Amino acid sequence: MNAIDGSSHVEVNATGQTPSLLTIVIDTNPRGWAALKDTLPFSKAIANILVFINAHLAFGNDNQVAVLAAHSNKAVWLYPKSPHSDREPNGSTDGDVEMKDVDDDKDRGNANKYPQFSAIESSILSSLQSLIKSTLPSTLPPTTLIAGALSQSLSHIHKTSLSFAPPKASTDPAAPSTAVTLTPSQPTLHARILIVSVSDSEPSQYIPTMNAVFAASHARIPIDTLSLSQHCSPTFLQQAAVITGGVFLSAALNPRGLLTYLMFGLLADAEARNSVTLPTQDSVDFRAACFCHRKVVDTGFVCSICLSIFCEVPQGAECLTCGTKLALGSYGANPAVVPRKKKKRKKALNGVMDRDASGSAAGTPVPG
Amino acid sequence: MSVNANSSQLSEYLERLPGTTFRRLYQQPSTAFAIFRRMLPHLAKTIVMAMLYMPTPFLLSDLEIWVKPTAKRQKDQALSILRALHIIAVTVPCRETPQSMTLTANFKSSLRFALEGGGDHNSFGVPSQLPIAADVDIAFLDKYARKKWDDILHFVVNSVGLIDSRSDGSNGPKASVKDLLMAGRLVERKGASSTMNITQAGFTFLLQEANSQVWTLLLLWLEAADHANKEGHHTGMESVDMLSFLFLLASLELGRAYSTDALTEPRRNMIPYLVDFGLIYIPHHDRRQYFPTRLATTLTSSESSLRSVSAGFTAASEGMGGAQDSNAIILETNFRMYGYTSSPLQIAVLALFCDLKMRFQELVSGKLTRQSVRRAVDMGITADQIISYLATHAHEQMHRVAASAKKSLLPTVIVDQIRLWQLDTERMATTNGFLFKEFDDYKEYISVVTFADEIGVLQWRNDRKGMFFITYAGLSQVKDFVKNKNKEKKAGK
Amino acid sequence: MPRAIRGVLIECDPSIKSIIMNINESEANAYVIEDLDDSHLVVQESKVQDLKRRLDDHLKETIPEIDRDSDSDRDVKQDKKGW
Repeated sequence: MNAIDGSSHVEVNATGQTPSLLTIVIDTNPRGWAALKDTLPFSKAIANILVFINAHLAFGNDNQVAVLAAHSNKAVWLYPKSPHSDREPNGSTDGDVEMKDVDDDKDRGNANKYPQFSAIESSILSSLQSLIKSTLPSTLPPTTLIAGALSQSLSHIHKTSLSFAPPKASTDPAAPSTAVTLTPSQPTLHARILIVSVSDSEPSQYIPTMNAVFAASHARIPIDTLSLSQHCSPTFLQQAAVITGGVFLSAALNPRGLLTYLMFGLLADAEARNSVTLPTQDSVDFRAACFCHRKVVDTGFVCSICLSIFCEVPQGAECLTCGTKLALGSYGANPAVVPRKKKKRKKALNGVMDRDASGSAAGTPVPG
Repeated sequence: MSVNANSSQLSEYLERLPGTTFRRLYQQPSTAFAIFRRMLPHLAKTIVMAMLYMPTPFLLSDLEIWVKPTAKRQKDQALSILRALHIIAVTVPCRETPQSMTLTANFKSSLRFALEGGGDHNSFGVPSQLPIAADVDIAFLDKYARKKWDDILHFVVNSVGLIDSRSDGSNGPKASVKDLLMAGRLVERKGASSTMNITQAGFTFLLQEANSQVWTLLLLWLEAADHANKEGHHTGMESVDMLSFLFLLASLELGRAYSTDALTEPRRNMIPYLVDFGLIYIPHHDRRQYFPTRLATTLTSSESSLRSVSAGFTAASEGMGGAQDSNAIILETNFRMYGYTSSPLQIAVLALFCDLKMRFQELVSGKLTRQSVRRAVDMGITADQIISYLATHAHEQMHRVAASAKKSLLPTVIVDQIRLWQLDTERMATTNGFLFKEFDDYKEYISVVTFADEIGVLQWRNDRKGMFFITYAGLSQVKDFVKNKNKEKKAGK
Repeated sequence: MPRAIRGVLIECDPSIKSIIMNINESEANAYVIEDLDDSHLVVQESKVQDLKRRLDDHLKETIPEIDRDSDSDRDVKQDKKGW
């Protein structure tokens, strides 16, 4: 107070921690977990994930968490429970209610646990149990429906960030002159998605998955993936991490260390990511799936109008997405005996694209 | 300057504690959890979490790689806080083994317990199994806590003498609380008359937001208990255990009943005080259960959530005289101030440093002027206090504009002007100390003044006159230096 | 052998210093121990509060209150730079 120093203007800023919303998508594919049961049983993995959730919540008491299960035939909310879960038509209602009561009692008597933690834990465990009960051996495709879970979590994030966004500048809609245009540079909520994956990407889900990924990228929501499976690598999730600026970690070498992977590599939220180095991928599988047979292809045909990818020339050389008649040049023509050797074909074949591992993510198609 | 200043009192208090006290504090998982959540900067939390389940010590060189070079300052700050709070231990640098750090054992196991929920420490409160009275709901608790706290604040504000002591049926806080306020020199009795006068510390207290006010009072209480214990009075309470209990309260759930039977004897002794502060509520018909109020459960909350909490408070106390800490001040660049409040308490506080011009239902408007700020400065309020009050109570709209335009929360013009107005009154600066003069020769003078400069106690020097001025604290060192010099001189002769 | 004298160092503007010197003279040099330079002087520790009070009184007499416009409620032109 002894000097008037005009050079240092004192800024008065509100510094508070921006709340952070972590959405965890747990791949609950029974086959995937069965393959892991010797190294990392499902129950143990869930216990580890619960500790991780608690660690995230411990960062600040307005941090939020949402947990979904991406099952082999559906995506289910584990926490917060969807408001319709009680009147689920599949007959497990009675069991559900009973479970809840038991948990509540246990919860009330537990003085060794932070109340918020135990509420989340009981909700997740009971929903998981009912999910497992409702799973029949007959309905078991080998892969997981990640896309549905992704879009559900994006909707949830959107809804939550709306509630976190400051209320409209003026409560009176007739006086918009006082309204302040919020620039997205100062988000009120840091959201991110973490996928714990145990199965391979299903090529048939390529388009919905990629749509969700681009939506997330547009909303600046990083999608992190922790892959546990040794045998398969979730191709599309690798791409998701690259496109959205998330982290792709493979714990396949040592699934037992799940918690350490989570706590060290994946706990940092958007704020901390500014200051710590994130694990990076050395090689990314950029292959896409074709639109006609849902096969992952290295080399394929691309419609020159809508950029749809095909593994083989579509019927009648007509694009299946936009219906454009594709000029194939002389592709597929029988190799005639070339009479004159001197004439060289310089032009590349029309509509053939090479997409190998070193390609860029820029050209991935969005239909429509 | 940031709003964040309010957690600093607690950290100052904590950092004064010796390491053994921390070891005892961290035995309780809820304490480790609360300190983690409330006291650490973001990067420090990330580092702690990364180390929590790490089987081996974390090499400092690895940390260097992990944290981006751009964040080096935050990293160093995080490490120094972690060390001051005895959360990490760093090995002594030596040649054979690289330097590494580990979490201290008690903190590590307690935080693990807090996250995993194991053990039988009962540190998250034992819920009461008894039936709960139907009328004790969250709205009731909010109302109760607000009433208790407003009583305390009214007591402090009334001692300013600016507003008439209101009589709205409350008798003010209990005598024990008054004693505490006086012991903490927030108010003091002037002369023989029984009128209370507010002190500068009292203004600081008044201008804080509710959460820091609670902490200020609680820390005064802890210190008072420490003091009493030292003097041999048996209070039955001990500050470390008291602090642990406060952290426990902070982790409880609002609107839930907890059992007093499960508490230890010293903690049960604390209950009457906490009731006086409005931190907990005990129903009259059943003294075996207690309810934490919002004041208690938000003790370790972060700032942004406190904003929403006080908004909740406002809603809860509607129709009962308004709220004190609704964030409702709009400050314009033309020095106009609008306060959306009808609480006599908040209006009284605003009147301390602002010329209030108009008063409407739920709105007062006024202007910051040189006179009004000087009047406040004369009363002992500092410019920083005014600024931080305005910042903590800024209207949501101010926050929004500041965030979207990436500007500072309060108009820079106003902030600077308030400071200048204060400087206006400060025509001089005084330093207690000693003037050294009449040196035998220039060489002796130079050697002493250089020494004083090196140890950082020199305030003023004039080589031509052979005089210099040092601070009060520097005397003994400079004196010893001069004596040694003289001895050397004599020995040399 | 140097001498150490206990006192309070006052740092102020030359104008304020001259006022202090005036007060000092009127009170038979009861305040000031040593006049150091244009902006520094050392005074008796016991007299500092008294000096401050007298200085304040003196300033109130001599310095006019500048802003008397607080009664008017007209709009002050907004300073766009601040926002």
